[in-house]
Amino acid sequence: MTVVEQQTRAPGSVSRRRRGRRRPSPQGSRWTPYLFLAPAALFILVFQAVPLAQEIFLSFTRTTLLNPTESTWVGLDNFVRIFGDEDFHRTLRTTVVYVIACVVGAVGAGLAVALLLNRSFRGRGWARALVTVPWAAPGIAVALIATWMLNPQYGIVNRFLDAIGLGVPGGAILDSPRYALPAILATTIWQLFPFTSVVLLSALQSVPKDLTEAAMVDGAGPWSAFRAVTWPVIRPTVGLLALLMTIWSLRRFELIWLMTKGGPVGATETLVIDLYSQAFDSKELGSAAAIGMVGVVISLIVIAGSRFVARAAEKEDTR
Amino acid sequence: MKGLRIGLTLRVVAVIVVLGLAVFPLYWMFVTALTSNADLFGQDARLIPDFSQFGVFVDALADGKATGWLLNSLTIAAGTTVLSIGLGIPLGYALSRFRFRGKAVMTIVLLFTQMLPEALMVVPLFALFRRFELLDSLTGLVLANSAFVLPIVALILKGAIDGIPNELDEAGRVDGARPFTVLTRINIPLIAPSIAASAVIAFFHAWNEYVFAVTFIFNPEIQPASVGIANFIGELGTPIQTVMAVAFMFTLPAVVFYLFVQRYVVAGMTAGAVKG
Amino acid sequence: MKTLPFHRRATAATSIIALTAALLVGCTSDSGSEDGVTTVTFAASTFGDPGRGPQLLEWLDEFNTSQNAIRVAAAAVPYPTFGQTVLTQMGSGRGPDLIRFDMPEFEAASEAGLIAPLDDVIDVSKYKLLEQPDKFMIHGGVRHGIIFEASNYAMFYNADLIPNPPTNYQEFFDTARSLTKGDVFGLAFRQTEAEEAGVWQDIFNYVYGFGGAWSDGTNLTINSPKNLEGLQAYKDLYDANVIPRGADAATFRRMFAEGKVGMELNNGGYVTATRGQNADLNFSVAPIPFPVRSQGSILAPIVINKASPAQDAAATFIRWALEPENQVKLQEILGASSVATVTERSAESLQETPFLTVFDELTPSSLPQIVLGFEAKTPDIRKVVVQNVIAALQGTVDLKTALDRAQQQATELVG
Repeated sequence: MTVVEQQTRAPGSVSRRRRGRRRPSPQGSRWTPYLFLAPAALFILVFQAVPLAQEIFLSFTRTTLLNPTESTWVGLDNFVRIFGDEDFHRTLRTTVVYVIACVVGAVGAGLAVALLLNRSFRGRGWARALVTVPWAAPGIAVALIATWMLNPQYGIVNRFLDAIGLGVPGGAILDSPRYALPAILATTIWQLFPFTSVVLLSALQSVPKDLTEAAMVDGAGPWSAFRAVTWPVIRPTVGLLALLMTIWSLRRFELIWLMTKGGPVGATETLVIDLYSQAFDSKELGSAAAIGMVGVVISLIVIAGSRFVARAAEKEDTR
Repeated sequence: MKGLRIGLTLRVVAVIVVLGLAVFPLYWMFVTALTSNADLFGQDARLIPDFSQFGVFVDALADGKATGWLLNSLTIAAGTTVLSIGLGIPLGYALSRFRFRGKAVMTIVLLFTQMLPEALMVVPLFALFRRFELLDSLTGLVLANSAFVLPIVALILKGAIDGIPNELDEAGRVDGARPFTVLTRINIPLIAPSIAASAVIAFFHAWNEYVFAVTFIFNPEIQPASVGIANFIGELGTPIQTVMAVAFMFTLPAVVFYLFVQRYVVAGMTAGAVKG
Repeated sequence: MKTLPFHRRATAATSIIALTAALLVGCTSDSGSEDGVTTVTFAASTFGDPGRGPQLLEWLDEFNTSQNAIRVAAAAVPYPTFGQTVLTQMGSGRGPDLIRFDMPEFEAASEAGLIAPLDDVIDVSKYKLLEQPDKFMIHGGVRHGIIFEASNYAMFYNADLIPNPPTNYQEFFDTARSLTKGDVFGLAFRQTEAEEAGVWQDIFNYVYGFGGAWSDGTNLTINSPKNLEGLQAYKDLYDANVIPRGADAATFRRMFAEGKVGMELNNGGYVTATRGQNADLNFSVAPIPFPVRSQGSILAPIVINKASPAQDAAATFIRWALEPENQVKLQEILGASSVATVTERSAESLQETPFLTVFDELTPSSLPQIVLGFEAKTPDIRKVVVQNVIAALQGTVDLKTALDRAQQQATELVG
């Protein structure tokens, strides 16, 4: 995790940082830390912990949105029902595909762009700034412009595809069970790659230049030079980004909701979309909560798994 | 030598293509806003803006609805920033400088909350807000957004305070300063860039937020822009030019702002998401 | 220290944010009533429509200026999310005071006990209510709503593109096909999941126009042969590529107004809206040319939220709306729709819009778009039916299988 440490450092504190290791020492009375902590902790308790607890409770009940204060305890019924539902299996598959494609796509594209911008050339500062634009654009605006660009009749994407002879019949990309998910993925990756590339760019700064050059002089191609010199340095960052992209993709809502609402025929329905439409379209708060719990458990497994992988990798490095 | 030249040309082309891809959708938003109906529904796409249509921006602003949305977004975002920074600094300080019972739990809780999707919490929060009379109020949105952005803010600030040598704190304490004074006089000035970074993250988290806003706000007068713009996709729509004009005005401040501070923001996001 | 300018900029940015925050948070007040004036919020999707939206707001203003005690504030909740948004709010004991519902949501809200009974606050014997639509406002002897707008479905066509409107389905199909070329489409209808409620309105005309029905009053008949026939007709048009696929209603109605769409099945409320988008469009209206003269109608009741703290003020507004002169004004705004009471169309508006009588003549053969016998379950049945029909449109299953599946799922749902 050294790379991360490096990035956290704010420029102002760069030189100071190296001196002396800090050690947290108790100061004030033993209640002092709690005084600092209390307002935020209370806040998180009220607005995160309490609602979460309520959601866990709801997942064991039958509750309708039209009368949310009356719940009937049904035990594990909601879970039994969703796991027995073919559509929910499809949702799980779609979620897995979406998350993996987002991770691979965003990290891959980000790495390619980072490598491209890592050389020095005139206007590099500008290029680096401009490339961040998609990341800064609000999700709503992105969904809106993407939907318009994909408009079957007047969208620029269809006009372009038709012009080069690759047009989708009818042009309704977002309404085709086959093309809707790829279109959503492309939009998601478009929005994410600036972030991954900027993070990877700063990781690339710590790759020793002379080592790469030495490897090239020794006759290694760019690919093996990359594998031998660059990859080991940026690997932790890539791992970290993969984790981040996974968590973000599991949570992503607006983009998909506004572009397809999970349709057509469930082709873009991820867990979060399913959860929201169960709650607000079907008005079933109980099964919505149950779907949410499945998502939370998946996230926990992902995080635990990533810690395990990171630890194993560290061990291997120190050996 | 020749190979090098070709390589260079290829790289320049690649850079241009990447930049084009990155910027094009925003450009297209702008062009669409400035396209006449005849061109819009015509056989061929118009690729450059038609500045004779500039009135669409003026109309969108003069209408008052869009400006109202943007102002509401600004209020929500500003409130969220102040609240989450105000709560995040002491929390980050406590996590960085003290040893206490429950510290590990607190850190895990902060990490865990980052996985919770808003869509999951919207129902119970709705019930909670109803009890506290916070529905249909900007205050409610500020509270909800702050709860979601506070963990990341606190983790970024903890990281920043970790980076300040403890000797400075001790020097302050020798002079007789209490912990609170040490925090405000010594730590806060030193972590100003990180505060700025987390402020930007908090600000844009709230600026972009949609799910809470669409569920908790009924009064159109206090709708933020995210909801207003999404609602454009109505039964009988607003002209797409107006939609794009407002969306562009909603996007532009975010993009311009990010260009200035992107470095801190990206560093902060990564740090916050993995700390602990 | 090369980074200093950045640092400074960032700090400056924070201070600006903090300052605006302090200013704005300080002076923002949340909603509420002031100076003894009761504010009543009225939610309707139509407030956002071009043409009639602004006129409806003016109509509300007339009420507001007619007295000092009550102010009605319009809330334009967009149609695609209207039911979801408003029902969520009402379920939690909040929401607008007055609501213009569509039938499916009206039925669901009524069954869930979210609507205030009107019998004690409105004396209907004082008004000449239109009987046919009004009977749907009463549930188990309790009045839950007053018709705000009733509008039959008919065929809108571009009279420049189509001099003689089709009179049977085959002609309808052929006209659509022959008009579709270049950037013009012969027909347009809703066909995406994002517009579930809209698709339901559109397929209703195909099902009933081919002699089908969603139920016989006691059992669901979603997969009946007649329904299959009607929906096959709908799917054939989709497959023939004579509609702008993927276009939502907002887009294709705009295209209709721009002369890029030849025909569209729509309700009378859109006469004003179409003119609002393009006053010069030469369009006309004829009955839907399907084998059976039976079509859907929009019934839009105005109701009072049971959770509203301002029920009396809301009722005062409804009584104002029912007064003859205000009914006439409302009717003029709504174009070819009818309102709660019997009103005469003025010679002026008949001159301006000769086809108004077409809509009026369709009233006896029009049905509200609900599932008879399963009224309150209509939104759930709608979801199942629309999803399965769209699956068939997209070719993931054949139509017969899709309808069988819808029948089975919906039957399970209604228990």
